[in-house]
Amino acid sequence: MAKTYDYLFKLLLIGDSGVGKTCILFRFSEDAFNTTFISTIGIDFKIRTIELDGKKIKLQICTTAYYRGAMGIMLVYDITQEKSFENIKNWIRNIEENASADVEKMLLGNKCELNEKRQVTKERGEQLAVEYGIKFMETSAKASVNVEEAFFTLASDIKAKMEKRMDVNNPPKGGHQLRATEPARKADSWLSRCSLL
Amino acid sequence: MTDESDFPLQIDEDKNRKSIYCQFCDSIMLKPRTALYMEDEFTLPLMHQKKKPSPSQPQTQVAQEMETENLKNFWKVKDMFTFENIGFSNTVETAKYLICADCEMGPVGYYDIRSKECYVALKRVKHV
Repeated sequence: MAKTYDYLFKLLLIGDSGVGKTCILFRFSEDAFNTTFISTIGIDFKIRTIELDGKKIKLQICTTAYYRGAMGIMLVYDITQEKSFENIKNWIRNIEENASADVEKMLLGNKCELNEKRQVTKERGEQLAVEYGIKFMETSAKASVNVEEAFFTLASDIKAKMEKRMDVNNPPKGGHQLRATEPARKADSWLSRCSLL
Repeated sequence: MTDESDFPLQIDEDKNRKSIYCQFCDSIMLKPRTALYMEDEFTLPLMHQKKKPSPSQPQTQVAQEMETENLKNFWKVKDMFTFENIGFSNTVETAKYLICADCEMGPVGYYDIRSKECYVALKRVKHV
């Protein structure tokens, strides 16, 4: 069967335990539904479909530091845990040693709704991101702040990088062929529906 | 949930006539005509377990004590990336359970790690 998508991106969420990686992606919603069975077994990964500039993109997202084939990595720390921020440089080193050199990275300071418990200023996050030449956002999985934006940004950067590479290899011959697609499901807050932190 | 008496209505030339959604939160799993109908017996844990496993219980024990149900009508999906949205559990023996990517209800089916094929139980999803 013909492929029903334009791109497939493998993304990882990494960072210390407790920073909310699971929450950003995997909502264990025992409050809403009786999902005890699944939360005991645990979730390995998810497949999501998004649309960017008319291209259908499949995201395979997981929270285990299994780098092979990863094209994008979200480095996550908790703004209320200094240690998780300090450990970002260890995670970066880990990525440098194990992931492909051109993997697209992004830094996320999660739990930004807990401003009164903040230990890491936004400026320090920004500064670290500049140091590594990567993008930065503060997110709140709980309050649905920037989580979706972060995933769209990372996917968009990977897409731009790939298209640039393809243009170098195959210069456009002029005339794009457009494929009729059904209207995509609006990217509502699926990435940010976490209610448990 | 799709009633067994409605199954024939959902099959068109062995494929799914309609889109397949989570029955709880309406998250779309499969577009029309992307899965193949097949009959095969498989035992899946119930979506609502009466007994709550204790967090200290080892996974294997939890898996053994689950209340289960035999299902035989499935949609076979050869490539996992055919799904619009879907979640995979960690591996239990030779399978990963499929769950809704949004509300995480499940299992709605399973992924066979040997054949790398996915099977969605008609009974556990909505056809719209």
